[in-house]
Amino acid sequence: MPAQLPPESHYDPKNLGKIFALVAVVLLLSIIGIFVKDYSRQWKDYQRQFHALEVEKTRIKLDEQENDLAKNNEYQKLLKDLEEAQNKLHEQDSKMNLINGQIKAVDTVKRIHTKEAQFAKAQYGALKYRYEKALHESQMDASQLKNRLDDLVLKIEKLRLLLEADDADMKAKENMMAALQKNFKELDKKRSAFTKKTEVIKRKLKKTDLAQMSAANQAADMVRDLPFIELANPNYKIHQIVLKDIPEDINFMKTQRVDRCTTCHLGIDNPDFQNAPQPFTTHPHLELFMDKNSPHPLEEFGCTTCHMGRGRGTDFISAAHTPRDAEQKKEWENKYSWYELHHWDQPMLAGPLTEAGCFKCHENQTVIKGAEKLNLGLNLIERADCYNCHTITKYQDWPKSGPNLEFIASKSTREWAYHWIDDPKSIRFNTWMPSFFHQSNNNDAESTKRGQQEVHAIVEYLFANSKPFRVDAIQSTSPKLGDEKIGKELVASLGCLACHQVENQKTKTPRTRDSLHREFGPNLIGLGSKTTKEWLYQWLKDPSQYHPGGRMPNMRLSDKETADIAAYLIQDKSSLVNKPIPPVDNKVLNAIVMDFLKKSSTLNESQDQVKSMNQEDKLVFAGKRLIREYGCYGCHQIPGFENEKPIGTELSEEGSKDLERLDFGFINIEHSKQAWFKQKLMNPRIFDKQKVKQPLDKLKMPNFNFTSDEADAITTALMGFVKDRPGHAKMADQSMKTAFINEGAKTIRQLNCQGCHMIDGEGEAIQSTVTDWLVAYQARDLNDAQAVTKSFSPPNLVGEGQKVQAQWLFEFLHGPTPIRPWLHVRMPTYSFHASQINSIIKYFNYLDDQEFPFTDIYHPNLAKEDLEAAEKLFSKDYFGCASCHIVGHQMPGGSADSWAPDFALAAKRLKPEWIVKWITNPQDLLVGTKMPTYYDPNNFNASAPSNILGGDAKRQIQILRDYLLTISEHPPQVKPAPVKVEDKTNQAPEDHTQTNQSK
Amino acid sequence: MMDAIKHFINFIAAPKILFNVILLSYLIIFPPIKPFQIIHNTLGVDRLWTKKGGIFIFSLMFLAFGFGLTDPNFRLIVLKPDNVPIVALLFLVVFFLWFALTQAKANDEAIAKGGKPKEWAESREKVLVFPDLVYIEFIALIVAAALLAVWAIALQAPLEQPANPTVSPNPSKAPWYFLGLQEMLVYFDPWIAGVVFPTVIILGMMCIPYLDKNRKGLGYYTYQDRKMAINIFMFFWLVLWVFLISIGTFLRGPNWNFFGPFEYWDHDKLEVLNNVNLSEYVYMIGLKQGLPSNIWLREAPGFAVLIVYFGLLPAILAKTAFKDVYQRLGVVRYSIFVVLLLMALALPIKMYLRWLFNIKYIVAIPEYFFNI
Repeated sequence: MPAQLPPESHYDPKNLGKIFALVAVVLLLSIIGIFVKDYSRQWKDYQRQFHALEVEKTRIKLDEQENDLAKNNEYQKLLKDLEEAQNKLHEQDSKMNLINGQIKAVDTVKRIHTKEAQFAKAQYGALKYRYEKALHESQMDASQLKNRLDDLVLKIEKLRLLLEADDADMKAKENMMAALQKNFKELDKKRSAFTKKTEVIKRKLKKTDLAQMSAANQAADMVRDLPFIELANPNYKIHQIVLKDIPEDINFMKTQRVDRCTTCHLGIDNPDFQNAPQPFTTHPHLELFMDKNSPHPLEEFGCTTCHMGRGRGTDFISAAHTPRDAEQKKEWENKYSWYELHHWDQPMLAGPLTEAGCFKCHENQTVIKGAEKLNLGLNLIERADCYNCHTITKYQDWPKSGPNLEFIASKSTREWAYHWIDDPKSIRFNTWMPSFFHQSNNNDAESTKRGQQEVHAIVEYLFANSKPFRVDAIQSTSPKLGDEKIGKELVASLGCLACHQVENQKTKTPRTRDSLHREFGPNLIGLGSKTTKEWLYQWLKDPSQYHPGGRMPNMRLSDKETADIAAYLIQDKSSLVNKPIPPVDNKVLNAIVMDFLKKSSTLNESQDQVKSMNQEDKLVFAGKRLIREYGCYGCHQIPGFENEKPIGTELSEEGSKDLERLDFGFINIEHSKQAWFKQKLMNPRIFDKQKVKQPLDKLKMPNFNFTSDEADAITTALMGFVKDRPGHAKMADQSMKTAFINEGAKTIRQLNCQGCHMIDGEGEAIQSTVTDWLVAYQARDLNDAQAVTKSFSPPNLVGEGQKVQAQWLFEFLHGPTPIRPWLHVRMPTYSFHASQINSIIKYFNYLDDQEFPFTDIYHPNLAKEDLEAAEKLFSKDYFGCASCHIVGHQMPGGSADSWAPDFALAAKRLKPEWIVKWITNPQDLLVGTKMPTYYDPNNFNASAPSNILGGDAKRQIQILRDYLLTISEHPPQVKPAPVKVEDKTNQAPEDHTQTNQSK
Repeated sequence: MMDAIKHFINFIAAPKILFNVILLSYLIIFPPIKPFQIIHNTLGVDRLWTKKGGIFIFSLMFLAFGFGLTDPNFRLIVLKPDNVPIVALLFLVVFFLWFALTQAKANDEAIAKGGKPKEWAESREKVLVFPDLVYIEFIALIVAAALLAVWAIALQAPLEQPANPTVSPNPSKAPWYFLGLQEMLVYFDPWIAGVVFPTVIILGMMCIPYLDKNRKGLGYYTYQDRKMAINIFMFFWLVLWVFLISIGTFLRGPNWNFFGPFEYWDHDKLEVLNNVNLSEYVYMIGLKQGLPSNIWLREAPGFAVLIVYFGLLPAILAKTAFKDVYQRLGVVRYSIFVVLLLMALALPIKMYLRWLFNIKYIVAIPEYFFNI
């Protein structure tokens, strides 16, 4: 019966069918859409591109290799020989065929025998069991079984003999064969040694290059990445590095870090892709990162550990890429439709900010080698003393760095102090004292008025609370006024300029880590208006009296020298500001006092209190509160603020701060931490713009006038101060040795040793000033001066740990004694604590891999002939050691720029092993040293004087070392011939301080 | 010009104004009393419930929406993947409202002429389960599945960064279906807005079949036959539910402040929140004296208001406005009905009190966390 539509049907089924067909197609399309969306991923495209690139590169490599081989004569000859050998082999074909036939026949026989032997052995096993059982159960047929067993044993032995004969036969035939092929086989082996590399590449191509694959592999390669099938073993898959010991902090817990960056950055650890386009480009520093042998292998450190960003993200946006600058941002917006991934708290660090990532593991290091921007940032933080107001874990125990203000009244005047606090940069353009007044949030007329009174109050407090400090008149025994010309030269030559500058004008060159060494102390301009000659005299004589624990060391100046320098420095009165000082305004002052009083008392009480105070009281009261408000005591010692806590926000984890907690105010800048930090550093008060605030609620951070580059560097450091640190296993080396090195490096930085010395690859900032001095006072032309600068500069301390004895170094640091008397620069005396000296000693020794206790006891022991040999070597006829080196009181001839340290110090000062190494090859220890190389390192024994000790170089050096140590204990008697050096300043003043002189 | 329009719309969107606009529109569309009926008739609102009217309504809506989309702030909020369903909800609610009322209008007109509603004929018709039911259900199922698939492809799941206990999202919003309740929290204490009201809403809905004795209007679209029921329902549904959800979604920004649709969601925006309790009004402002220390005495005015509102008002209404309702329902049904209705009305009333008099609480006993 044909299907009849029921008449009751409300809808037309035909129509319904059409609709159904339509929506079914829509559903199908949407499901296909799901597949397409799920299947087509950006990273797959990248992997496809990379695959093509890789195949192409491999092909090129193969071509290159094959070309090389084609050009290689040896290989070509080999090929010819091989062909010849093969031809020869063909001539023997009939013989070989015969042997082959024989081998086959023997093999067949052997197979039959083997099988028989196997069967017999199996029978033996079973029979043995039956016999044993029969014995045990005392069965009747036991003896019969025994006979059969014996027969079987005989059979097995017979078969064994047969097999052995077969083997011997086979071996003989094979040997015959090998003898025939010997020549060919050997040549072929040689050939494969040549083609080893190409074969590897070919094998790789066979696996990856579709054109070279076998048909089966081609088919498999085509289907393996299809939807669904790809779950088995696809070509294109997500690559990930799972790091359990560098967890990711997701607030409630820590999870393992999963970095999928290498899904797209496929060439990151492959040096072949240096010029490939992104995302395939090789990492720019394979020597430091990625490589298995580098300190940070990819598999152990991943990517987001340093770079931040979202490691789990597998497309451009979800990985939280951050553009380097506005230009790149625009480019990305066009290219990748990039937008900022708001929902990720640690976006990738871009450009130079990347170095911030180093800090989390390398916090304890003073210098993080290779991270120059970060180092500059840290050095700027150290120099600007940010840590005095802002607690930073790294700088917890660093000292206050501003001048001591406890005795200010003895040093300066109220007028000067007013101008200084009001606008320090107007007095000294490059001072590190930041500006509190005339800033963007307090430069309107009303605030300026208030600011004037605030400065009055601060000055008043400082001077009213200044403790008495006796400034002696300049000793009558020394020339009364001092000679400013001599003083100027002394400043240029003594080494003052390693830490200080005397610059009247702004230089355009940006600050570098090197130039910061010379900004360690203040720029010595305008002292004449700041202080008195007497105070300067007192200060230069012994800085620790005025500022115990301050940075300025004692230069062991004689009275005359002191007077000269004081005379020179005091003459510059140029910076005295001629601006009039506004008078104290009681009305404004009252308002300031009221602002503080009403914080803790009622309005009426406060008003009464203000009325009861006289002007002096008000100034001192307001001054104290303002010093607390501005945190002046962070950098300066100020009476009454000995135990105050610093006022700034803690910065130890500033890089992890939530963006929401940074107030951008009405400033229209990019909403990112780094943009905020930079803006804050360049104009600390800017976020008050357009805000209505009470004076005491305003932002207080003073202005350091950082340049954009400097702000960038500090921002880099700040971004590195993060909360989440990797697990212990992945932190930078934390051995005791490293800890000592870090501790020492810190002391060295705090004392600015690198202002003078080269230590661990950094320092010698003083050298340009030495050159200047040579030109100005030693009548040398510039080229000449530059050539000998090193001779007149403080010594390079590379390798100091293996060079000098710990005991000597301790004594030297405690009280320096002269080593290089011709030097004008002077090693200062620091008021060291023993632990500080020890930290420096440990630093040098551990840096040079010396083992504790750093000193071997060694007694030189010279036989008579050895002594004679050593004397010969020492003499002018051979090495002529004394022509440069000082020996006790015997000065060498010639000019001072070729002189070398006193041998008399050797026994106490130098490590015996070092002397040997030094004589062997000085350039090895100190590149560029003046010390001649007597023994050719490439031709060691032959370069030794052959007529001494039979030309045994090693022995010669040993006895020379022993000789030096001996003469150091008993310097040879020579006529005292004090050599006068040509310039007059080298003459030590004839007073009691002479014994203290050291250079 | 554009800016002026946007400013005007932002101004209108302020809750004090917008609520009145919505309430007034509601009253005109569903007039409960004569004066509104007159306006309703004069404006010819009924003309909306035709095909032409539908085209008009939707053209207006799309036009307004399109205009809004030209504004970046509006776009930011409306096109957020989380908010897309709410946008759809607005259009759907309007569509079904128009659809139902159009049918109702046709039926009402037919009945007025002495005819039968459209459904009368249809309800006599018998159809087969297949294809009339199952087939079209199946088609609907497929359409829904396709829609979900397309939606999932087009809009990414709005996931955010790992939760951080020290950072709360601002604004912190409930899921969209609870935004009405969250909005109530502005005017009531959590124990009322979060506990009592939701319970009463559920109980009230359970009561509907027992309260509504009207036999008319069953099985067909009608407005005239169920005027009161529809008016009351529409008040709950449109004014107290959909409207509050929309506000919560689109107009509540950081710190739960109000923002116009074209306004930037500024985290630093501050609004005045100086609210006063009823007792303070009476004693401190009215009688110029301190608050009594006795809680009962202190809160007496508040309790009095409550007693009048829930005790006396039903009785008064029974004699006046709801005279016929009272007679129709009887004492028990009437009491339940009127108390539920008064409770629902308490929300807009409290809103008005807040806006007009800065009333914080009618009864304020913070000592026992009892504030109404």
